[in-house]
Amino acid sequence: MEQRQFESRKRYVAAIIIGTIAFIIVFAASYALSYFELQRVSNLQTGVGYDIFEDKLDYSFFGISPCNTSSFEKVSRDLAFQGRIIDDLENKMGKQDSGVLLRKKFYSLIEIEHFDFLKTFNQQCRQKHNTILFFYSNDDSEASASEEAGRILGVVHNRYEKNLTIYSFDIDLASDLVNKLEAKYNVTDSEAPVVIINEKTMVKLPVNIGEIEKHLM
Amino acid sequence: MEFVTIVIYLSVYMGLISTSFYIMSFIAGEKKKKPLYTDKELVNVKVTVIIPAYNEEDTIEKTVKSVVKSRYPNFEVIVVDDGSKDKTFEIAKRLETADGKVRVFHKENGGKGTALNFGIKKASGKIIFTMDADTTVHPDSMKKMVRFFKDDTVMSVTPAMVINNPRTIFQRIQYTEYALGLFLRKAFSALRAIYIAPGAFSAYRKAFFDKYGGYDEHNITEDLEMGLRIQYNGFHTENCPEAPAYTNAPATFKELTMQRRRWYFGQVRNLWKYRKIISRKYGDLGAFVIPTSILATLFSVTITIYLFFKILFKVKENILFLQSVNFDFPSAFNINLYVLERFLFLWITKPVVLFTLCFMVILGFYTFYASKKIGKPPLMLLNWMLFFLLFAIMYGFWWVFSLFYSLTRKTIKWK
Repeated sequence: MEQRQFESRKRYVAAIIIGTIAFIIVFAASYALSYFELQRVSNLQTGVGYDIFEDKLDYSFFGISPCNTSSFEKVSRDLAFQGRIIDDLENKMGKQDSGVLLRKKFYSLIEIEHFDFLKTFNQQCRQKHNTILFFYSNDDSEASASEEAGRILGVVHNRYEKNLTIYSFDIDLASDLVNKLEAKYNVTDSEAPVVIINEKTMVKLPVNIGEIEKHLM
Repeated sequence: MEFVTIVIYLSVYMGLISTSFYIMSFIAGEKKKKPLYTDKELVNVKVTVIIPAYNEEDTIEKTVKSVVKSRYPNFEVIVVDDGSKDKTFEIAKRLETADGKVRVFHKENGGKGTALNFGIKKASGKIIFTMDADTTVHPDSMKKMVRFFKDDTVMSVTPAMVINNPRTIFQRIQYTEYALGLFLRKAFSALRAIYIAPGAFSAYRKAFFDKYGGYDEHNITEDLEMGLRIQYNGFHTENCPEAPAYTNAPATFKELTMQRRRWYFGQVRNLWKYRKIISRKYGDLGAFVIPTSILATLFSVTITIYLFFKILFKVKENILFLQSVNFDFPSAFNINLYVLERFLFLWITKPVVLFTLCFMVILGFYTFYASKKIGKPPLMLLNWMLFFLLFAIMYGFWWVFSLFYSLTRKTIKWK
């Protein structure tokens, strides 16, 4: 049989160029959407941070009662919402993405501010709002157990939504604030995941919802 | 990056390149003028339609009548009853005509290939149509297809295969699959790279059978073997999307899986038999069309196997998780607006999802082309959605199943 001619060699070159451009455009669009989401989180964080600082100043500087539950609930909701978005972004853009890490650091700062404000709120307003400090790790050896514990805490949060705030901290995050928090509650890096309930009880490696629920008020 | 992610992106990248290539080839093919027989010339080109039948008492009459109604000027019909156990022969015999336009023969059961070869020996036409006994044809289809035989290198012409009256989910999926095939077949014809002629209805130049022999009687996909044999010997197959032929499709998943097992198993064997085609010597067919088709199948099989195990592990993981929260389903799967919003964000920003949307647009364009050629079926959107949701999974499954089968067993029967 005779050698069969190619219909057009130029067409192959054109197809490779078009295919490559389409491939790159889709990846760029996907990255752009994630980037816009990161920008949105950044704006949200500023707003929530401002609200918490304002409430704290109202009480500590201006002497206004912190017992306005609607404002407290709104800030708590916003904080929880932000936590979830950061979690999504971490999955999307990678756990080592510098933009996400920066947001996480800022988020940890706001969480501690909120935690501090909640303690004041409980004391001054005679409330019994539960708190859980959740120390997790993204390190390969502990990530799976941390994710599992995170899912269990998600269910606990759904059950006690009105009377519980969960603060999550990445112990591998290079943050002095988180390190100081770990030291304050005697958490060591090798122990993740660890849960501190109402500042009193430490539960290491929770595997069942009952281990956490029995310590809640 | 996981191995399977690399496989997925490689298959997407290859899909984008081949889609661009086929669209450009399609456009180039549309511009090219092909030599075609005129109405006057067709009078001298006698056609023989061979209908092998085995236990087709429900459909044989409709099939023969649809051919008889054909507006082709010079043709005969040969029905070969392949040892049916029902009334196929008696029904077909009633349709026989005194002028010899419709002739009916009976032979011992030996398989489709033997029945077709029996018919070829009896045929007096220059062009042979092979037709399944459950297929019907548009009155103008034969005329439109035979015109392409003016080109001496054309040894076969394929029609626009259409699923007849799709009712079940699986028939609707096949309807879209066949409709999408119309575009690709046209692009392949522009590249002279069609290597599959549908067994349900295709036309062949009798001279090819005379020179290179009839159907391989031991082959379970004798139509595919013939398509490859034509290409192997340096000839090619044309396509006529304006010539519809309507065939009955398997209605259940089991029937469909059995059909695909036969097809894919046969495809592997025939491609192996004609493996020399996969070379630059065969131009676009050997250097691009068949290699990309093989690669796409390998990618699909890899992804299907991976997804199967991933789903299995995910189920196990979720059972363990539910156990850890005392099977509190409402709290564990608390679907609210936030969850939906985040779900949408996570999905829309996945490159794979964006690529899927791109391919949906491309397939939408293919479907539009098909509806221009064969008309718009009722509930076209439903057919299309079902295809998009289920075909890729089923395609991977059929291939895994067929490969597993071909590795563990040796033979599959046609009927």
